[in-house]
Amino acid sequence: MRKLAWLTAAALLAALLIPGLALAEDKEIKIGVIYPLTGGAAAEGRELRAGAELAQEIANSAMADIDMAMAKNAGIKALGGAKITLILKDHQGNPQLGADLAKKLIEDDKVVGILGCYHSSVTKTVAAVCERFGVPMINDSSTSPALTKAGFKWFWRTTPHDDQFTKDLFEFLKGLSEGKAKGVKAVPMADLKTLAAACEKTEWGTNVSATIKRYADEYKFDLASNLLYAAKSPDLSAEVQSLLAAKPGAMLFASYTSDAILMMKTLQSMKAAPKILWGQDAGFEAPEFVGTLGDASVGVLTRTVFTPQVAQVKKVSGQVNNLYKEKVGHDLSGASARAFTGLQAWVYVLEKAASTKPEDIQKACNSITIPGEELVVPWNGIKFATQGEDIGQNVLGMGMIGQYQKKGDKITLEIAYPFDLATTNLVYPFPGF
Amino acid sequence: MEAIKNALDFSDFPRLDLSLAGAVFAFLLLFPALPHSSFAMATMIQFLMFSLYGMGWNTIGGYAGQVDLGKAQYNGIGAYTTAVMMVRWDVPFWVSMPVGMALAVGWSFLIGYPLFRLKGHYFSIATIATSLVLKDLFEVWDFVGAATGLQIPIRSKLPDFLYLQFRHDYYYYYILLALFVVGILYLNAFRHSRLGFQLRAIKDNEDVAKSLGIDAHWCKIKAYAVATAFVAVVGSFHACYNFNIEPEDVMSLDLSVLIAMMALLGGAGSLWGPIIGAAILVPLKSYMGDWLGAASGLEGLNLIIYGGIIMLIAAVQPRGVWGMVEAVRARRRGGYAAS
Amino acid sequence: METLFAELAKSLVSGLIMGMVFALVALGLTVIFGVMDVVNFAHGEFLMIGMYTTLLTSPILKVDPLVTLPLAGLVGAALGVMCYYGLVRFLLRGPMVAQLLGTFGLMLTLRNLALLFLGSEPQIVHEGLLVGKSYVFGPGIVLESTKLAAALLSIVSFAVVWWLIRRTKLGMALTATSLDAEGARYMGISTERMNATAWAIGGASVSIAGGLLVNFWPVDPNVGLLFTMIAFATVALGGFGSIRGAFYAGVIIGLIVYFPPAWDALSNFGGLDWPSIHSFKYTFVYLIYFLIMVFRPQGLFGWKQ
Repeated sequence: MRKLAWLTAAALLAALLIPGLALAEDKEIKIGVIYPLTGGAAAEGRELRAGAELAQEIANSAMADIDMAMAKNAGIKALGGAKITLILKDHQGNPQLGADLAKKLIEDDKVVGILGCYHSSVTKTVAAVCERFGVPMINDSSTSPALTKAGFKWFWRTTPHDDQFTKDLFEFLKGLSEGKAKGVKAVPMADLKTLAAACEKTEWGTNVSATIKRYADEYKFDLASNLLYAAKSPDLSAEVQSLLAAKPGAMLFASYTSDAILMMKTLQSMKAAPKILWGQDAGFEAPEFVGTLGDASVGVLTRTVFTPQVAQVKKVSGQVNNLYKEKVGHDLSGASARAFTGLQAWVYVLEKAASTKPEDIQKACNSITIPGEELVVPWNGIKFATQGEDIGQNVLGMGMIGQYQKKGDKITLEIAYPFDLATTNLVYPFPGF
Repeated sequence: MEAIKNALDFSDFPRLDLSLAGAVFAFLLLFPALPHSSFAMATMIQFLMFSLYGMGWNTIGGYAGQVDLGKAQYNGIGAYTTAVMMVRWDVPFWVSMPVGMALAVGWSFLIGYPLFRLKGHYFSIATIATSLVLKDLFEVWDFVGAATGLQIPIRSKLPDFLYLQFRHDYYYYYILLALFVVGILYLNAFRHSRLGFQLRAIKDNEDVAKSLGIDAHWCKIKAYAVATAFVAVVGSFHACYNFNIEPEDVMSLDLSVLIAMMALLGGAGSLWGPIIGAAILVPLKSYMGDWLGAASGLEGLNLIIYGGIIMLIAAVQPRGVWGMVEAVRARRRGGYAAS
Repeated sequence: METLFAELAKSLVSGLIMGMVFALVALGLTVIFGVMDVVNFAHGEFLMIGMYTTLLTSPILKVDPLVTLPLAGLVGAALGVMCYYGLVRFLLRGPMVAQLLGTFGLMLTLRNLALLFLGSEPQIVHEGLLVGKSYVFGPGIVLESTKLAAALLSIVSFAVVWWLIRRTKLGMALTATSLDAEGARYMGISTERMNATAWAIGGASVSIAGGLLVNFWPVDPNVGLLFTMIAFATVALGGFGSIRGAFYAGVIIGLIVYFPPAWDALSNFGGLDWPSIHSFKYTFVYLIYFLIMVFRPQGLFGWKQ
């Protein structure tokens, strides 16, 4: 008994003391990547991971058929062709675990910087760790406005945040009433004026809900119902009943995948017929959304940062998308395109810094401008704000609104906004279920 | 005076236990000086946190035998008191921590009074209900940041002992270790105290205890308050350690269940039980997650093993690991064992 | 005024139907508790397995999802029996905490087995007799065919289980076991088999419910906990082990959950505005549960304490 106890103790001790075996290689730049690979957002996590890994592959090898600076040479040129290595960690949507993993990456794996983390709540704790250690972090996919309001010195965000996305929506509605939408005559404002919104009661959803309210006031819409619901709810029909009682012209949602599907199913069975149905990314953009709903998703609008339709307007997007499709089996999504862009930003920053010292990277981040034509996403580029309200926020980012449409027997996400990028005529009003 | 003497009196434990405990304590004390990965350090901090949660839970769940599945609400009260006071009024940790503790204990009296009219499963599920209600309220309460939570601003000069902000984890570790020692000493005194004996009498047979003139209802409420104080202190610490709290994070049902699981697995109703439980489950959870989790493509395998171990212990020895040790000892010597 | 009544009527009807669905989900839990005082944390996981059974077998067998319900029931019953003989039998020797611990472990294991083999994406039945159908009558009251079917099944299941327990020999043996296991043993009842039967009935009823619900609800490995919590509240509200109580409690909870739209209608009428009431709908369930527990600790219809 006693012997056994000592042996167990010794084994436990050993397990605790052996640090992660890091095979040191000179020409290797380690980036820690923290995503939700399991748990509720595992599906999105897989997309994010595939996006980042594709960007890594392109950066590490010369690919002549891709019109990107990072595809021209193998590795980081300014660092003697050093290769990017990704160390992937799974935070399971748990902020505490995210912070612990960040410490592990920084102290044990000695990463140069961090990329992640999708969930805004996890990004917050990870950013706090990076801030304390003075290690740069680029955030590719968290959209809580609060993240860039904390005044962090080691945090930069490439994706536009919820404020901008929600503003886009109201610009879109306004444009619709002014006849700017492709293929649709000016819609009388009275048809759209009444809004009903349902957002999940999480850090993300609550923020979206608040911004919807703010912009509804600013753009003079009538937000008749603006409710929060318990996420991962077993039933949403009570919520839908309340929304429909407001007789809305447009219905707005912020939900993750399973809720988004349930919401659509409930709307369908309650015979909802709004003129506009808009989802704030996340669940409405997940591959499962179309996969599960099929034709019922036609006409739904979702804010997004990428649809394969971008390839029609942008050559480089098409090239990367083809490569991604070859590897993963489906098109880039908003999540994978943003993860790709996030790692791409890392590559360009390292190229500019020509060093892996945190201070040099910080300087490079604060002064870099990546032109829009380099990116797969249809942004004007990447340039981080160094002052003002949103420190570290990419000021050249741009949101899009996509619409699911049926082309042949396939459902694709067409671009509906910005109006000058629209790939096809807008389906208006929402055709109903 | 009596209490201090009791706190330091470990004489009813076998010498083997004490020397093992001494060795473990020496290890804990020296751990930061030993070569270690920072993930190991983070794991050790989790271990200390869950030991403290478990020790607290043990007073009500172990000694009093009331399976409480709502401890997360007090963790939340502690964490939120500290965070709100720090964010809004710039109050140091050492002030807000006792305030949080007092608020949590006050709340525990308020709901403990009706709660302890319930027994068994009814009690357990009612504790879940109260915790969820409080979480739902915090999620829409703007003063505490609603569902967005609160982000504690990082101070310009680190380390900051007043506000408990450090760059390196070993500061946090030693502060927790100090709390851990205080916790053990307190519980040792608690074990010998009048309340401790009363609770065990109630656990063995409530009717007999009542007939002996013990006010069972009041005793349980007091034990519940003690448990609450432990959890609230760790909650306050958690807020400083994480720099960001959200209701979903600090008040989730998962946390409540995990606290109870660890204490039960180690052996509820004994001094060492919750510590053993945390020492087994915390490293298992974090390391298996790292080795077997998504990185290897086997999603969920770590939690399958985790669930399997919990089932096995529950089926073989429901008094937990410490129960096993005691059973072995009882068989050997045919008698006495300390609890 | 008219719209107010219409909205109230909608809430009332939907609440009733939803309540019966909740009751159906809770039935298995209350049967198991009634016979052997065990609270099953893995209850929602049985539901999930029922959902997956229908989801996966109906395309393979090329039949309507409804046809696979008996199969889901069989799987649930088999799983219930397996769980009883493999785990719960041992848990019964220990105190109540052992049951909590053990069934919690079971929950973790089942949920993550599903995750390992079936993936985390939410999935749903695409085609079937009930999928996406609904009927409208009166002042815009919408009846979703899936929920209507689940409500009907709920009534039938409760009737069958009630009949089984009150009117059959098996039921008497079960009741005897639940009242006094030792006494029942002396009377020559194999309590072991009775317990297993309770688990079979419990597992089957909740799996069938799952098979029906997947026509409407997307299933993923984590779907169970939501329903477990509601089922807990339902069963405890009705009184652990009370079949009748579970039914009424389910309906009460259904009505509570549909309180927010009714409140909305009222508040629009009265000019009040309280938009976050929706996020409180489960809070109300827990709160009312707590209050009822405090004032009537054995639950509404409970007799065991």
